[in-house]
Amino acid sequence: MKKQVIIFQLNDEPVEIYVDPAESLLTVLRDRLGLYGTKAGCSKGECGACTVLLDDRAVNSCLVPVGKVQGCKVETIENLSRGGKVHPIQEEFVDKGAVQCGFCTPGMVLSAYALLKENPQPARDQIKMAISGNLCRCSGYKQIEEAILSAAKKLARQGNSIT
Amino acid sequence: MSYLTVSTLEEALTSLSDSSGKARVVAGATDLFLQDLPHSLVDLSALPEITVVEEKDGLISIGAAVTHTAAASSSLILARARALAEGCSAVGSPQIRNIGTIGGNVINAAPAADAAVALISLGAEAVLIDVNRETRQEAVENLYWTYNRSLVDSSKEILLRLLVKPCLGGEGSAFTRFAVRRALALPMVNAAARVKLENGLVKKVRLVAAPVRPAPTRLIQTEELVINQPVDKDTLKRVEVSAAGEVEVRGSQLRCSARYRQHLVGVLIARVLKIAADRADPGKAGD
Ligand SMILES: Cc1cc2nc3c(=O)[nH]c(=O)nc-3n(C[C@H](O)[C@H](O)[C@H](O)COP(=O)(O)OP(=O)(O)OC[C@H]3O[C@@H](n4cnc5c(N)ncnc54)[C@H](O)[C@@H]3O)c2cc1C
Ligand code: FES
Ligand code: FES
Repeated sequence: MKKQVIIFQLNDEPVEIYVDPAESLLTVLRDRLGLYGTKAGCSKGECGACTVLLDDRAVNSCLVPVGKVQGCKVETIENLSRGGKVHPIQEEFVDKGAVQCGFCTPGMVLSAYALLKENPQPARDQIKMAISGNLCRCSGYKQIEEAILSAAKKLARQGNSIT
Repeated sequence: MSYLTVSTLEEALTSLSDSSGKARVVAGATDLFLQDLPHSLVDLSALPEITVVEEKDGLISIGAAVTHTAAASSSLILARARALAEGCSAVGSPQIRNIGTIGGNVINAAPAADAAVALISLGAEAVLIDVNRETRQEAVENLYWTYNRSLVDSSKEILLRLLVKPCLGGEGSAFTRFAVRRALALPMVNAAARVKLENGLVKKVRLVAAPVRPAPTRLIQTEELVINQPVDKDTLKRVEVSAAGEVEVRGSQLRCSARYRQHLVGVLIARVLKIAADRADPGKAGD
């Protein structure tokens, strides 16, 4: 398609790019904006490695034509660490051994982040459901579920909101 | 014009007619983005009038651009059209459901699309408008042309909403599917039912299974068999045999053999009929 100007909010900053609107949000993030945290796995909606938040909801960025994000809010894994400190969800992933090769981790963390934003005290089944679109070929999921459960507890203890 | 997110229906129809067949509407893009993209896209996902679920003139009106996530958590759909909530929660993964829409599910015309199967069991009607501003209303099962091809030409016509008669006293609905995994797996078979009971006997019923033919398929012989019968063990046994006997299915190398699929049609149709009937029984909780 003909290039056009797309303006959107990316990690709390306005972004303006001139791009083919049929390019995927995933390739725009990685190849044009240099945000390599979002991973390219299958590029067809099957693995969740490319998960980002679009207007606060987890979506596969490989299936989003970038024209679609015009005027929207996009959040990637890069937005979770602040001032050199990682997010409590990320801390718990490390502590609980939920990261092995790490390829699925950004997507997993973002699915967890979207869940905890909406439901700060999820039951284990709700956690399983929330990460059911994220494949991990290393861990077997148990540690990931543990990490999300304990991140929820930690956030509740700290009494702070998730962001 | 190449990618346009519209904010009014008028704008959508004008851009379609201006591009004389070269533009196509898009909603969540979860199907379309993996296919050959047309010259231009008209994005409907921010159109206020097609993103709501509401009760109107005694019917449930579901906007075509309502996402599976929104439909699956709508209190109206959960209470009065439960099969649709169950069908939508079975689609793909949370990421797909958060952006994929009911209208896209119907117009993409996959033979066993989960929301479409549920809608057809509920007897849903589609409301459409074309570039000449003409509207029509059509039963969802009549929108199919052939495998993965809708009769609706999305370069000229827009699906606006789906209308469903709510399940009220004595009525219930249910959807189920069987797949190799609970997420991100297309079903070997999916099945849905809507039933109305009076004094414990079936007075009205719609039984739908897929993939059987290009469109999710009503099992008319089995429906006739259960009319005026109680939904008990004996009837369910006969339903299982009849449903499996009524369909001719294809096998798929990826999913399952034709024989297994046929067996599943019987098992799942009996299962959804039972769940729908339990929900219809006024002695138990409503649908
Ligand atoms: C990984 C993956 C897993 C999936 N799993 C499932 C599954 O388990 N079950 C299932 O049923 N589906 C599944 N799907 C298919 C898909 O997600 C659904 O069919 C979804 O509902 C499509 O909706 P959409 O809004 O994304 O459609 P789009 O891709 O936007 O559109 C699909 C088609 O419909 C047309 N269209 C869309 N809206 C309208 C409208 N209002 N009027 C006229 N034409 C319109 C478009 O032009 C296009 O031809 C899966 C897809 C992927 C990528
Ligand atoms: S890369 Fe997007 S889902 Fe796999
Ligand atoms: S840690 Fe390797 S894929 Fe999940």
